[in-house]
Amino acid sequence: MTPTQLLLRLLALILGWTCLQPQAATLLLKDATLHPVNHPIIERGDMLIIDERIAMVAQDINLPADQTIVLEGLHAYPGMIAMTTTLGLLEINSVRATLDTTEVGDWTPEVLSWRAVNPSSELLPVARANGITHAQPIPLGGKLSGQSGLIQLQGWTLEELLVKPTTGYHLFWPDATIRHTPKALLQDPSSWKSPEDQRKNHQKEVMAITEFFDAARAYAKAVDHDASPTRIPGWEAMSAWVEGELPLFVHANERRQIRSLLDWARSQSTRVILVGGRDAWMLADELAELKIPVIYEHTFTLPHQDTASYDVQFTAPSVLHRAGVQVTFSEGSDRFAASALRNLPYAAAQAMAFGLPREEAIKGITLYPAQLLGVADRLGSLESGKEASIIITDGPLLDIRSKVTHMWIKGTASSLESRHTRLYETYSKRPRKEP
Amino acid sequence: MLCFSKQTPCARNPLKATYLAVACLVAFRVLGQDIQPPGHDPLPVDYHALVGARLIVSPSLTLTNATLVLKGERVLMAESNLLPPEGARVWDMKGKTLYPGFIDPYVLMATEGQAPKTTRTLFHDSASHQATGHWNFHGMTGDELDPGDKGPGGNYHTLRADYHVLDEWSLEADERRAWRELGFTAIHLSPSKGIWRGSGAVSLTGDTSPNRLVVRGQSMQHLALDASASSPDEYPRSLMGTLSLIRQSLLDTQHHMQSPHAEGFDSSMEALVPVLQGRKRVVIEPGSVLMAHRSHQIARDFDLKPIMVASGQEWRRPDLIKQLDAPWIVPVNFPQAPSLKEKADWDAVSLDLLRQWDWAPENPSLLVAMGKRVALSLHGLHDRKAFRKRVNQAIDRGLDRGAALAGLTTIPAELCQLSESMGTLSPGKLANLIVVEGDYFDPEARIEATWVLGRRYAHDHADATKEQAKGEDQNTVEMEEPTAEDMKPLAPSENPTQDKTHRRLARSPLQDRPSSQGPDTLLIRHATIWTCGPQGILQDADILIQHGHILEVGQSLTLPPDDLGSCVIIDAQGKHLTPGLIDAHSHSMIMGGVNEGTMPSTAMVRVSDVVNSETDNLYYQLAGGLTTANLLHGSANPIGGQNAVIKLRWGAGPDAMIFAEAPAGIKFALGENVKQSNWGEARTTRFPQSRMGVPVFYENRFTAALAYQQTWQAFHDGSNPKRPRIDLELEALVEILEGERLIHCHSYRQDEILVFLRVMEQFGIQVGTLQHVLEGYKVADEIAAHGAGASCFSDWWAYKFEVLDAIPYAGSLMHQRGALVSFNSDDSDLARRLYLEAAKAVKYGDTPPEEALCFVTLYPAQQLRIDRWVGSLEAGKHADFVLWSGSPLDTSTICLETWIEGVRYFDRHEDRDRTLAKAREKAALVAKAQGKGSATSSSPDKDEHDASSFDLFFLPALEKQDEGRILHCDD
Repeated sequence: MTPTQLLLRLLALILGWTCLQPQAATLLLKDATLHPVNHPIIERGDMLIIDERIAMVAQDINLPADQTIVLEGLHAYPGMIAMTTTLGLLEINSVRATLDTTEVGDWTPEVLSWRAVNPSSELLPVARANGITHAQPIPLGGKLSGQSGLIQLQGWTLEELLVKPTTGYHLFWPDATIRHTPKALLQDPSSWKSPEDQRKNHQKEVMAITEFFDAARAYAKAVDHDASPTRIPGWEAMSAWVEGELPLFVHANERRQIRSLLDWARSQSTRVILVGGRDAWMLADELAELKIPVIYEHTFTLPHQDTASYDVQFTAPSVLHRAGVQVTFSEGSDRFAASALRNLPYAAAQAMAFGLPREEAIKGITLYPAQLLGVADRLGSLESGKEASIIITDGPLLDIRSKVTHMWIKGTASSLESRHTRLYETYSKRPRKEP
Repeated sequence: MLCFSKQTPCARNPLKATYLAVACLVAFRVLGQDIQPPGHDPLPVDYHALVGARLIVSPSLTLTNATLVLKGERVLMAESNLLPPEGARVWDMKGKTLYPGFIDPYVLMATEGQAPKTTRTLFHDSASHQATGHWNFHGMTGDELDPGDKGPGGNYHTLRADYHVLDEWSLEADERRAWRELGFTAIHLSPSKGIWRGSGAVSLTGDTSPNRLVVRGQSMQHLALDASASSPDEYPRSLMGTLSLIRQSLLDTQHHMQSPHAEGFDSSMEALVPVLQGRKRVVIEPGSVLMAHRSHQIARDFDLKPIMVASGQEWRRPDLIKQLDAPWIVPVNFPQAPSLKEKADWDAVSLDLLRQWDWAPENPSLLVAMGKRVALSLHGLHDRKAFRKRVNQAIDRGLDRGAALAGLTTIPAELCQLSESMGTLSPGKLANLIVVEGDYFDPEARIEATWVLGRRYAHDHADATKEQAKGEDQNTVEMEEPTAEDMKPLAPSENPTQDKTHRRLARSPLQDRPSSQGPDTLLIRHATIWTCGPQGILQDADILIQHGHILEVGQSLTLPPDDLGSCVIIDAQGKHLTPGLIDAHSHSMIMGGVNEGTMPSTAMVRVSDVVNSETDNLYYQLAGGLTTANLLHGSANPIGGQNAVIKLRWGAGPDAMIFAEAPAGIKFALGENVKQSNWGEARTTRFPQSRMGVPVFYENRFTAALAYQQTWQAFHDGSNPKRPRIDLELEALVEILEGERLIHCHSYRQDEILVFLRVMEQFGIQVGTLQHVLEGYKVADEIAAHGAGASCFSDWWAYKFEVLDAIPYAGSLMHQRGALVSFNSDDSDLARRLYLEAAKAVKYGDTPPEEALCFVTLYPAQQLRIDRWVGSLEAGKHADFVLWSGSPLDTSTICLETWIEGVRYFDRHEDRDRTLAKAREKAALVAKAQGKGSATSSSPDKDEHDASSFDLFFLPALEKQDEGRILHCDD
């Protein structure tokens, strides 16, 4: 786009919006190192924000604005999007009353995670303070645990947090490990199964999954033909999948488990996103061929095979990338994950240190998540027309030493205060006690 | 089958045992006793001449065309070309070989269906850290009932030194026949329960009265490092606790010997007296290679006479095993390779398991080659018929036949202190022998008969046995790698393919590790050096190292003119060099349980007993620049165990890893863990259950420690002539009072931190470090004033209630307020990237980068009082350093090399080769394991007998059981 074209388009935008929203607020960010993510870096670039959206990203913008902020020496990035997290669904892992992560039942597609997000959770501002603007809380429990949604980490009410109520279904792929642990060594010897039985058991579980999805299709067909007299909530909740509107987020880590998932995926015409992906690098070519993206949760997992190199989990994203697999990073959903969510960029950083191109590492926490969540038209990069969910840092995003200095979510300036900054301030002011 | 005899457990009669032992030494009994009453079968004549045999008198003496004359129960003569004496019944033994009857020195007695526990199966119990209250401290007087058995006795269930195997066991007829058929004429019955397990007895396998069969009523004492022997809430439930209990029980016995019954009657202790007096030997089943080393050390400390039971893992650390001065009982229960169906099955098998399998048959010859006296045993071998096959496997892998024979005859006889009557066929010995149609080590050669006490037992169902053996072979084709045919001894050149099967392909794990040799002189040039000392950060600087110490740091250094020895110069242009990183809170190299969480004070347990030198965590953490770690006991009790500061000298043994100069320390803990808040509703009776109780508990224990200290002082200055009992718990607490042991206290809330500091101040104690100390920032001034170090997580919070107020600014804030701050890992993964944790002090609270790096170098060194040697790059200190691709605080930086005392322990360039070598080794081993019958099913229930050796294949060594697990305080 030439500057003239840009200007024309911008004017059109401004005119258009001015007509609709007479009190449009304009914000001009100047002289920052802009990291649009899907375009080259612009040194000392400018960005114009009108209301909720980015109106223009350019080397120089010389237009009047309600507010102009000079960000010399600072960097601008799209806000980070935290995938597959329990943020908002739990407060203190060891206190049961604060957990809303897990439901009862094997097949509960009608469970929607966003409805349990606590907007007042102390964990939200802590994540936000480190540059996370959006999160995908996921339901746990059972085989198909329900549907995740997308929230932004700012808003007065739950509905204001909500960006998208449903982003996909969460399927936890059955364990395919063949355990050879001797019967005598099991804590509960009666639970011992022969390798043959374990294999069969796995096949059975996979068949149950196939059956579940077949039944979902059958139900939709019956409804289409008015053949189902009653509305069954569980099957109703599968309609977005039947219609092909939402993907399956399939959680699998171990090589055989992923192998089994891939075999299944070949037989199904459904969009699969692999979540977890500890051993995904071993099947990189096939994942690329099937165009299955990976949400990688294991950068900091210890090697689980004694023949692996010490850095096997650090290098896995670069192996996947070289094979043509799209890699997104996630802190996962284990007991420490939600409170440690602010460390998301450092998982990407470690992958970068061990071979993943820097741009890919950054995309893996911004643009790629937006794509997987079906909101790439609104989020994930600094582009005109997208929502102004922006973070400003005083150094590279992937460098731990950098701090987030400003944040806007959907055009609104966000507070970077949190329980942590408040306590820090409070106790910094404690008068010194003379010994 | 074994079963309970009719004797009642209380029918103990030491006199009877003595009588029996004497009786068996009487050469010829009164013949009149041999006349059976009418109606009974008359006894056969007991005067035999076995003629024309190849006679193995002893492993070192073989006679051909020999005559063996038996009279009564004994050997009368054994000579070549001897005419049979008149009157003797003559047996033609042409073509046959006579061997002294075999002796198995270690046969565990256990109830049918409950396989005797071998200590290698420990620690699968995930509930091992849990405990309730009300237990008395070991040795601390109180009103509570002791948790041992009813009535007087050992303080714990596991102290059963007074148990006598004959109280419950004798060999049934079926069982005796089964042993005879294998060629065994005597076996040592060993007790199988507890830690101190009690005395065994030696029984013959003939068919006569039980009293006659017992040739030694009170044999060796037994000790096993079996923490799972305790009930779930009883001390000890960890390996380190087990070792401490053993020490304390021996100390108590010594005390008892000096002041009899000073602490009351204890029959288990009584039973240990002859052990401590050296009159009774102890069979020790350590369960792992490192524990063989450790338990032998304890035995040596107390001048015991140990006999070690091999775990089959000795090949891992021949350097340690070589030092041990003890005979060995070596079970031949070698794991057998399973046939796995899919390639993925093999992919999932660790290299370590394959190595274990491939090394196992070589283990006996390895021990013999070290000059150890080795007795062989069927221990752990569920399919006894496979015994000869296993022995042959060991022979094929280098075990000398003479040594094998000695291991079945003279050595076990000697271990059972029955050399006078058994083990050889020289005149005067018991007439216990086996008749083999050929050579015993030829697997086809049939054992025709076994003689016990001069009586012949023919193996009439020999054909059936043979058939069974055949059938077994067919079965085992799928389960086992070497078939009977392979077992035929062949000259190496005779058959190259077989040679391949017999050759070991597995490497020693020590080969993965660096040599402990570095260059005498090392000069690294042109690096950016973060000295973490007064010199600050030096650009384009050099560091000169000699004999493991730093000689000089500065610009443009030159090599000293004197003798350099071997010299290496490294150009580090563009790279950064920092001190080796120090983790002030780690559990990564602890084996057999991080917590001895049973009792509220376990000050006596020692992490240094259970340092795991074999874990890959060492390598992973070296690869992140870590050189020193403070291995702490967990936080399950207010007073935990004694910590160990180690250098990550990967390849060294556990003792050589200890940071020798580091002062002693101990773990304490406050808050939720010690009051068992998250242990479920069932555990609410152990004191303390609240933060009110925690300080009360400390006051109690230190008051007790003061009293203990005074008692000893009174003894030393003569005012109290009675020598007090040594109490290992109070010993450790006294060391704290005397300033010789640093407290590292797990803590979270500001209130508990202050209260703890004040309680310690009452006793004049300065706390070494507060660990985690997440609310320490609220009382930073008080912490600084007290002088305790603050060792915290950089940014963990909210994982439990007491950490709700944790903030990532805590490190910087405490640092600004004058406290000595470090960042630790408490996590085997995080320990690989402490340099990046340090960067968080820059991010949160603006600690200058140079000081931030000190959070993981100099400051933890100061906290652990080891900064005279490590923590910064200054002349005179240890040459522990890391070479980085860039700034250590930058996420794009990679650790390139890690050096400890001038030796390179990690080199990223070499890592690829290392990984490739392991992959190649594994591929070769898998091919070897798949060698035969890989197409058949591996379902272990098909053949129960072989299932056990198949099981054994999948049983990881104790040292490897926590691999890949993240160990935290709470685990």
